[in-house]
Amino acid sequence: MSDKQLEIRGLRARIVGGEEILKGVDLVVPRGEVHALMGPNGSGKSTLAKVIAGDPQYEITAGDIVLEGQSILEMEPDERAREGLYLAFQYPVEVPGVSIANFLRLALNARREEGDEIGVMEFYKKLQRAVKELNWDDSIIERNLHEGFSGGEKKRSEILQLLVLEPRYAILDETDSGLDVDALKVVSQGVNAARGPNFGALVITHYQRLLNHIVPDRVHVMVNGRIVREGPKELAMELDQKGYEWIREAVGA
Amino acid sequence: MAALTDNPAVSADAVESIVSAYREPAWLADERRAALRAYSDQPFPTEKTEEWRYTQLKRFSFSGLELAKAPKDESVPERIRMRIADSDAEGVIVHKGNKVVMHQATIKEAGVVFTDLRTALRDHEALVRAHLYDVVNARQTKYTALNSALWENGTFVYVPRDVEVELPLGAFTTADSGGIGLGRTLIVVEVNARLTFIDEYTSEPFAERLFFDAATEIVLKDGAKLRYVSLQNWSRNVAHINKLRAHLGRDARLESVTVSLGADAARAEVESRLEGPGSESEMLGLYFADEGQHFNQFTLQHHATPRGFSDVLFKGAVRDASQAVYSGMIIVDPHAQKTDAYQTNRNLLLDEVAEVVSIPQLEIAANDVKCSHGSTTGPVPEDQRFYLMSRGLRPEVAEHVLVTGFLYEVMSRVTLPKVAEYVERVVQAKLGVPGVKEKL
Ligand SMILES: Nc1ncnc2c1ncn2[C@@H]1O[C@H](COP(=O)(O)OP(=O)(O)OP(=O)(O)O)[C@@H](O)[C@H]1O
Ligand SMILES: [Mg+2]
Repeated sequence: MSDKQLEIRGLRARIVGGEEILKGVDLVVPRGEVHALMGPNGSGKSTLAKVIAGDPQYEITAGDIVLEGQSILEMEPDERAREGLYLAFQYPVEVPGVSIANFLRLALNARREEGDEIGVMEFYKKLQRAVKELNWDDSIIERNLHEGFSGGEKKRSEILQLLVLEPRYAILDETDSGLDVDALKVVSQGVNAARGPNFGALVITHYQRLLNHIVPDRVHVMVNGRIVREGPKELAMELDQKGYEWIREAVGA
Repeated sequence: MAALTDNPAVSADAVESIVSAYREPAWLADERRAALRAYSDQPFPTEKTEEWRYTQLKRFSFSGLELAKAPKDESVPERIRMRIADSDAEGVIVHKGNKVVMHQATIKEAGVVFTDLRTALRDHEALVRAHLYDVVNARQTKYTALNSALWENGTFVYVPRDVEVELPLGAFTTADSGGIGLGRTLIVVEVNARLTFIDEYTSEPFAERLFFDAATEIVLKDGAKLRYVSLQNWSRNVAHINKLRAHLGRDARLESVTVSLGADAARAEVESRLEGPGSESEMLGLYFADEGQHFNQFTLQHHATPRGFSDVLFKGAVRDASQAVYSGMIIVDPHAQKTDAYQTNRNLLLDEVAEVVSIPQLEIAANDVKCSHGSTTGPVPEDQRFYLMSRGLRPEVAEHVLVTGFLYEVMSRVTLPKVAEYVERVVQAKLGVPGVKEKL
C-alpha cells in the first residue's frame, strides 16, 4: 500500500454536541488521481469535506484521516493546509477589507519560513498567471475577498486560490454549481491544469456535465453518511441517468 | 464615596495667575472667572446620571493632581519627529505641556491663520473673541468647565471666505510629565471655505499620571467643508477626555474621524449641531481596546434645522479585560423636517473577558424624517476564521485579517492615506502580528 494518498478510515463525525452526520466513511484518493464524490442532498458530502479540512464545528468520534502516512486529526486547519490540503468551499465566505492579492500573499507566506517571504514580482507573476488561466480580468485581485462577488465568481476565486497555492490534495465541493457553461469550461481547465503526479483531488458534484470536463479516475457514492458504492467513471453516468433511488434500494439505505 | 472629589489646584488663584502671566484681555479674564464659577456650581458627575452611566469615572479622576506646566524638556521628541515625517499634515504645530515646541507651516493661501491660541490672541484677538467658547464652553460638563477656566494654550485655525486650504494641517499634542493637561483647538471655517485638519495626541510613557482634558471647537459657516481627524494614541499612563463639537451652517459639511488606541482610559464626546438647512455631518469612530483599557464614546447628532443629513459609524474591537462603551443620541427638533439621520455602532469581541456596552438612542420630535440606529456586538465569525485558516493562515494572522476587515468599513472612509496606514499599523502592533512594531 502506497503512502502517497489521502485516506479516510471508518470516519464518524457529528456536529459538536449534536447529531451524527458521518457514520463510518472509508475512502482513498491516491496522489495523481482525481476522484468524484456523489450522493443525494444532505448525505454528508460537504460535512466530510469540512471535517477533512478541520472545521471546528464538527467533532470526530471514531476513525482517522491520514495524509501520506500521517494522521492529521490533531492538526489545526492551518496546519493541514500547510501540509498540502485544500478545500474549495461549496459556499465560500466573504471576508471584508482584505484583497484577494493580499490574502493570497499571506497564505503563500504562511507556507514559507519567516524572513523568506515571497518576492513581490514573483508573487504577482504567479498570481497573474493563475488569473490568466481562468480567463479573468486582472482587476479581480484587488477586490476584497468575495465581497459582492456573484455565486459564479466566488467559485472561480476558489480555483484561482488553488492554482496559486498548489496543494497536493484538493477537495472541490460543488465548484460547478452556479457556473455558466463557459465558466464551467474555464474552471475545469484550471483543475485539469493542476492535474499531475503530484496532485490528488476529490471532486464533489451532482452533475455528469462537470465530469465530462474533469474525467474522474474513480467515483464514490455517499448515502446517509457512508460510502455505499465505488466504481469507475461509468458509475457517474449511470447515476446521472437513473438517479439515486436504485442505489438506496440496493444498499437498503 | 464619590469617585471624584474637588481639587484645590482648580482655584480662583490658578485662574488669576494665568490671566496675569499672559496679560489676558478683560473679556477673556471674565470668561475664565465665569467658567470657574460654572465649574464650582456643577456637581461632579456620578455613574448614576444617564450621561455617565457605564463610564468608569474613577479612571478620569484628576483629584490630587497639579495643573501641568512646562515640560521637563522642551525639545521635540523623536516620536513626534517621526510622526510628522509620516503624517498627511503639511503644516504642523507641536504642543508639549504648556509650551509650543514647534510650529512650521508655509500656507500659500492668503488670509489663513494657523497658529497657537496665545499668538492668535495677540495677533487676531477679534477673531478669537468672536468664536472662542461658542461651541465648547463651561456650561456643558464639569470637564469642559475645567478646560474653559484653565486652558493655557491650544491651536487656532481660521480659513477666510471662499479659501480652500489644499494641504492638510495638524497639531500634535504630547507630554513628558504628569498633572492636569488642558488642550484646546478652535477651528473656524468661513463661508464656502475648505480645510483638512488632524489633531493627534501621543507620547512616550513617563512615570507620572497625566489627566488630559481637551476641548475641540469647530465652527463651520455656510457652505464650509472640514475633514477632521482626532487620533488619540497616548501612552498608558494617561487618561484622556475630549469634547469635540461642531456647529454647522447652511450646506456646511463635516467629515470627522475619532480614533482611540492609546491611554489607560479615554472618553470622546463627538457632537454635531446642524444649524443651517442642508448641512451634513459624517462622524466616524474607530477604537481598539486591549490590556484593560476603557474607551468610552458618546455621539450626538442634533438636528436643529430642516433638511439636515447626519451619519455616525463607530466600530471597534476589544480584548483582554478591556471595556468599550458607546452611547449615541440623535435629537431631531420639532421643526427639523426632512432630516436624514443614521447611527451605527459595531463591536468585535475578541475574547470572553472583554466587555462592550452599546446604547443607541433617538429623540425625534419631527414627523417627516428618516432615522435609523443599530448596534451589534459579537465575536469573530467562526466561518470566516475557519476559511482563512483553511488557506494556511496562522490563527494570529487570521485574527489580524478579521480585525482589519472589521475595521475596514470605517478605514475605507478615511480619505487620508497616511492616517489610515498608521492606524492599521498600531492595530497590528496591538494584535501582536509577527514582524509588525508600532514603528511609532
Ligand atoms: N453545522 C450544521 N448544523 C446543522 N446541521 C448540519 C450542519 N452541518 C451539516 N448538517 C446536516 O448534515 C446533513 C449533511 O449535510 P451536508 O452539507 O454534508 O450534505 P451534502 O451531502 O453536502 O448535501 P448537498 O448535496 O445538498 O450539498 C444535512 O442534513 C445537514 O442539514
Ligand atoms: Mg454539500
